[in-house]
Amino acid sequence: MCLNTNDIAPNPSHFEDSEETATPAHRDIAWNDYKDLIKGMRFFDPHIHMVSRTTDDYQAMHQAGIVALIEPAFWVGQPRTGLSSFKDYYSSLVGWERFRSSQFGIKHYCTMGLNSREANNEPLAEQVMEILPLYIYKEGVVGVGEIGFDDQTPAEEKYYRLQLELAKKAKLPVQIHTPHRDKKKGTERSMAIALEHGIDPSWVIVDHNNEETVKSVLDKGFWAAFTIYPFTKMGNERMVKVVEQYGPERIMVNSAADWGISDPLAIPKTAALMKMRGISDETIRLVTYQNAIDAFGKSGQIDVTDFESGYAIDHTEKFHGNSILRGGQQPVPAKDSLVIN
Amino acid sequence: MSDIIKQNLWDIIVLNTSESEAEWLQNRAASSRMDLMTAFVAAPRFLSKKIIFINQDQQFALNAEIPGFSVEGWSLVRLARVWLLTQLDPSDKEDYVKDIETLFDTAEMNELVALYAALPVLSYPDQWLFRATDAVRSNMGFVFDAIALHNPYPEKHFSELAWNQLVLKTIFNDKPIHFIEGLDNRANEKLAMTLSDFAHERWAAGRSVPAQVWRLAGRFMNTTLLADMQHLFDSEQVDDRKAAALACNDSSLAPAHYLLAKYIDLEKSVKSGALAWADLEH
Repeated sequence: MCLNTNDIAPNPSHFEDSEETATPAHRDIAWNDYKDLIKGMRFFDPHIHMVSRTTDDYQAMHQAGIVALIEPAFWVGQPRTGLSSFKDYYSSLVGWERFRSSQFGIKHYCTMGLNSREANNEPLAEQVMEILPLYIYKEGVVGVGEIGFDDQTPAEEKYYRLQLELAKKAKLPVQIHTPHRDKKKGTERSMAIALEHGIDPSWVIVDHNNEETVKSVLDKGFWAAFTIYPFTKMGNERMVKVVEQYGPERIMVNSAADWGISDPLAIPKTAALMKMRGISDETIRLVTYQNAIDAFGKSGQIDVTDFESGYAIDHTEKFHGNSILRGGQQPVPAKDSLVIN
Repeated sequence: MSDIIKQNLWDIIVLNTSESEAEWLQNRAASSRMDLMTAFVAAPRFLSKKIIFINQDQQFALNAEIPGFSVEGWSLVRLARVWLLTQLDPSDKEDYVKDIETLFDTAEMNELVALYAALPVLSYPDQWLFRATDAVRSNMGFVFDAIALHNPYPEKHFSELAWNQLVLKTIFNDKPIHFIEGLDNRANEKLAMTLSDFAHERWAAGRSVPAQVWRLAGRFMNTTLLADMQHLFDSEQVDDRKAAALACNDSSLAPAHYLLAKYIDLEKSVKSGALAWADLEH
C-alpha cells in the first residue's frame, strides 16, 4: 500500500483514505516494553482479514491475548472474474480460514456479503446474490458485511439495500464499511438507508469511524467501530482521545488488518496505550472485547464459552470428546533458534 | 438407499430432539429442494448442540442395514444433516447429483463432515468417489476423519491406490488406524512395502511410527520386512517389541517364526493370546 495517500495508488487498500495526508506521529514507545501492561487481558478483533495474513501473525495475536476474531467478506485486491471465485472465497471464510485460525488457538467468525467495490460489476453481483443465502445461514456467520458504499454509485446502493433486506430476513447484524472518499456524507447516507429499511440501529455496526463521524453515529443509536490502521486511518493515540471524550458505550476498536501495511496487534497495542493513559480496565475491556461480542452476538452465533478462557492448545492432546480427533494444532517453533527441528 | 435406513435414522433423531426440533426437521424435509438444502446449512441455528444418545438396538439395526455404519459420538446437527440428505428425492439423477454437488461446493467444515459421513447412505455411490478421495487430501482434520475413520464407504468403493493413500495418510497424521473400517480386509502387499519405506524415513529423521501400524505387515512378510522386525525387536520402546512379535506371529513365513522364537517371553504371550493387536490400539 502506498504511504503517500495523495497519490492515486494502482492497488490501494480497501479503505485507503485519499483525502487525509499521512502524518505519522512516531513516538519511541516500544511495544515490547509495554506489553506487560495488558498481561492477562483478552481481546476480540471484530474486523480483520486473515486470508491476507501469515502464521506468524496468528501466533503473535494469540500471544498478545486475542482469543477471537471476525473476518468480514471483502474485496481481496484481485478482482473476481466469475461466480466460482466468490464461492471459493466465501467457502474459505467458513472452511479453511476458520480451521486455520483454530489451529492457532483463535476462535474465528465471519460476516458474509458482497462488498461495495464489486457490487459495481452488476452481472456478477446478480449471480452472487443468488448464492449468498446459502452462506449467511452458516454456523459462525455473525452478520452481513462488510457492505455499504465505496464510490457511492447507484449499483452500490442497489446491492446495499438488497443485502439489508437479507440481513433482516435472516435476523443478522449488519457490518457497514464506510467509504474512503466523501466519508461523512457516505456514512450519513448508509445510516439513513438502514433506518429507511426499518433496521434497528442497535443491530448495525458502522465501521471505520473517525472524529468527524462518531458523534452522529452514536447519537442515532448505531455501534461505532474504529479501525486502527497506520498512516491512513485512526492512530491509536487519537483513539485514546475518542474514548476519553465519548466513553466506552457502543464503541469498539478493530485492526482491519489486510494485505496493506496494517497491524494485526492494533487492539492489544491500543489497550496498552489506554492503560498507560490511565483509562480504566473496565473501559478497555468494553471497547476491545465485550462491545463487539454484544453487538455481533445478536446473531446468536457467539458462545463465549468457546473462547473466554482461551482455546486450550495442548499439542499432545489427540482426542476431544467422543473419539473425535483434534486436527493436530500447529506447534509453536522456537523462532530464536538457528536450528530448525 | 433403503427406506429402512431413513426410518432408523429418524428413530434416533426422535430420541434426541424436542418436539419442536423434530417438527422443524419434518417441515423442512417436506418442502422444496432449496428449502431442504437451506435447512441442511441452517441446522445449527435450530437444533441444540449436543452429542446424540443411541441405544444398542438402534446401533445394531444400522449395522444390519449397512455393515460398518455407525452414528456413535455424532452431534445432533450431523445426524440431522445426514437424515435431511436421505430426504432428497433421488429419482431424477441429474437434479440429485447437482444438489449434492452444490452442497459440497459451498460447504463449511462441519457440513463437509456431515456430507462425508453421509456417503454410505447416499444414492449413486460411484458419483462421490472423486469427492471421497479429495477428502483424504484435506488438511482439515475433522474432514479427513469423516472419510477415513468409522466410515464404511472407502472399504467398499476405493481403488487399491486410493485405499493405500488413505491408510498412509492416517499413519502420517498420527491417527489411530484401528478406526479405519475394513483395515484387515483391504490389507495388501503394496501397502506393507510402502509402510516399510515410510518407517525408514521416519527412523532416519530420528522419529518413530506408532507400533500398531505393523499389523499391516505380518501377512506380507519378506526379507525387507523381516529386517524391520529385527529393528523393532531392538527398539527401546516396549510397544515396538510387542508389535514385532505380533507381526511375526501373523506371518506364515518360517524365518519370521525363528526370529520370534529368539524372544521367549514375547513369543509366549503372543502364542497364548495374552498379547494382541488390541493392546497397541492407542
